[in-house]
Amino acid sequence: MNASDNGTASMEGWDSPLIQARDLSRHFHSSQVEVVALDGVNFDLQHGAFSVLAGRSGSGKTTLLNILGTLDMPDAGALNISGRDVLKLSTAERADFRLMHMGFIFQAYNLIRVLSARENVAYVLQLRGVARDERLRIADTWLAEVGLEGLESRRPDQLSGGQQQRVAVARALASEPDIVLADEPTANLDSHTGEALMQLMRALNEKRGTTFLIASHDPVAMDAGKELLMMEDGRIVEQHRQ
Amino acid sequence: MLMLAWRNIIRNARRSLITVAAVSLGLAALLFLWGFNDGVHNSMMRNLQQVIIGSIQIHKAGFFKSPKLSCDIRRPDDIRHAIASYVDISSWRLRTFALAAGDETSEGLVLLGMDPAQEKKVTRIAGKVSRGRFLSENDTTSCVLGLTTARNLGVSLGDDVVFLSEDRFGSLAADKFRLIGIIDSGEMGIDRGLAIVPLAYIQSWLSMEGRYSEVVLQTSRESLEALTAELRARLEPMGYEVLRWYDMYPVMRQWVDLENGFYYIFLGIVLLIVAAGIMNTVLMSMLDRIREFGVMMALGCSKSRLAGMVVSESLMLAIIGIIIGTTIGLLLVAWFHHAGIDLSSQMDTIQRFYINTLIRTEIDTDHLLNTVLSVLLAASAASLVPVWRVMLLQPVEAIHHV
Ligand SMILES: Nc1ncnc2c1ncn2[C@@H]1O[C@H](COP(=O)(O)OP(=O)(O)OP(=O)(O)O)[C@@H](O)[C@H]1O
Ligand SMILES: [Mg+2]
Repeated sequence: MNASDNGTASMEGWDSPLIQARDLSRHFHSSQVEVVALDGVNFDLQHGAFSVLAGRSGSGKTTLLNILGTLDMPDAGALNISGRDVLKLSTAERADFRLMHMGFIFQAYNLIRVLSARENVAYVLQLRGVARDERLRIADTWLAEVGLEGLESRRPDQLSGGQQQRVAVARALASEPDIVLADEPTANLDSHTGEALMQLMRALNEKRGTTFLIASHDPVAMDAGKELLMMEDGRIVEQHRQ
Repeated sequence: MLMLAWRNIIRNARRSLITVAAVSLGLAALLFLWGFNDGVHNSMMRNLQQVIIGSIQIHKAGFFKSPKLSCDIRRPDDIRHAIASYVDISSWRLRTFALAAGDETSEGLVLLGMDPAQEKKVTRIAGKVSRGRFLSENDTTSCVLGLTTARNLGVSLGDDVVFLSEDRFGSLAADKFRLIGIIDSGEMGIDRGLAIVPLAYIQSWLSMEGRYSEVVLQTSRESLEALTAELRARLEPMGYEVLRWYDMYPVMRQWVDLENGFYYIFLGIVLLIVAAGIMNTVLMSMLDRIREFGVMMALGCSKSRLAGMVVSESLMLAIIGIIIGTTIGLLLVAWFHHAGIDLSSQMDTIQRFYINTLIRTEIDTDHLLNTVLSVLLAASAASLVPVWRVMLLQPVEAIHHV
């Protein structure tokens, strides 16, 4: 587990785990203080995992998820996803990488306001160049899969918070990504709805084999995970199956 | 992508409507003002050509600069053949200087020999006679004077005026002409220093039989340049000059260009307002959606695609505004082309000889196209600021934007 400090560690031969993170660090320079958000994160995530990234507020979950999602860059360390050294990619290549390999679910307001549920799900497929009829058909299938049959034409503001998150799940899965990254997907939901959402994702993980990494400090979410990664002060201090 | 841009436009219908209304009103106003401007200018230019000078004049080379009797057209057939395939009617005139003596004083003036029948087909000078009548076929020693000259000479209708001139050989020629018509145009160049006399009579009087000074043609504005070029190609090698109306009378053309220049400045100001309006709308609707843009970027939408969406929104607003504005503007121009705008109460007709008191709006194609294209260009320019904002957007910050 030794990576060089400049973040260009060799990744050759590391082709088995889906994600390999080595010594990832990320500092923020606020007005006066320097915040160490990630302080040498090391972990592997296997294909098919359903893992919850837990830890108290400020421990670095969102920062880590952003870096894993290629939305942000670490100051140092190495990161290999699906056999690709993603830190070497340009901005445009990262956008493309996300499009082809990743699904995202955020805490709230995931959806494009002016598009219907169906169109929101179809949007990623559109970016990928899937023909209109085909993508709308796939979108309907996924909406049915997450239990939103009959609500396909509704706009986000005509859906409840839980329904909106289900649309986000359908969208994340519709492009059949290698991994779905979810940041606090249940935070804006009541515990009942939150639990149902977690069960839905877990069921999809089991049925389809899609890998999930879910950042949350919600006990409901933590209980649902097959694997728990504990973060503390910018490090992963514990990784165990449950 | 266009669909998304369109949905965003109608999502904030009120804001979009205000922008579209601003663009269309601005454009309609610009087009109407162009219609008025071009209507006045074009009728002025048409009047100028139709009253006396024509669209094109053909002379012996050098005549326009120094109009001497000896600088004449001696082989009219050269010109007849050259123009035959382009125009059926032309007015052939003889021009020289003369000293006119009335009862009290004398005055130097231009003596213009016209064939009344021909002239009536080519220009409207005959209709501008306000007292008495214009020359007719059988007139010989008759003349038509401008009001100022008639006053200066102290002559009135029916009086005799003596003209002193030189014939082709330089001998003094003098003859008495009866004043049969007075032109009161308000136009200095016509009211003063001009005497119109029968062509045939002065040709023989000045020993200029079969010789002419100027050939006057009328043509439409659209064909003026092409016709001039073709006539020049044929006639210049033979020692003739072919002049357009504005080669001879550049002041009006310069005036029109100057006024158009002012209109373009005004256009620029309106465009700035239009651009600011569109930019404001698109920027505001963009700031509303920073988070959404972040999500879209996270999903793998490239920045150029996002920028394309922002540009599409600007252009859609502009194009809708342009369609409505152009329609309203052109309808206004068409309506006032038929109805006319009566400015007779505002205008002293005598002083503004070339301006019609009933303004019929019309718009030049290039003014229409330039204006519409400028609005489109302004809209594109207006989307640069939002595009620049998109380019600077970081997905992480955008997603966590509140
Ligand atoms: N853009 C930023 N600028 C400055 N400091 C930041 C920035 N983003 C995160 N931080 C800091 O980095 C640390 C980790 O933040 P992060 O958002 O990753 O925590 P988290 O575990 O997701 O917390 P929460 O559970 O509250 O969402 C915090 O101390 C936070 O204040
Ligand atoms: Mg967080």
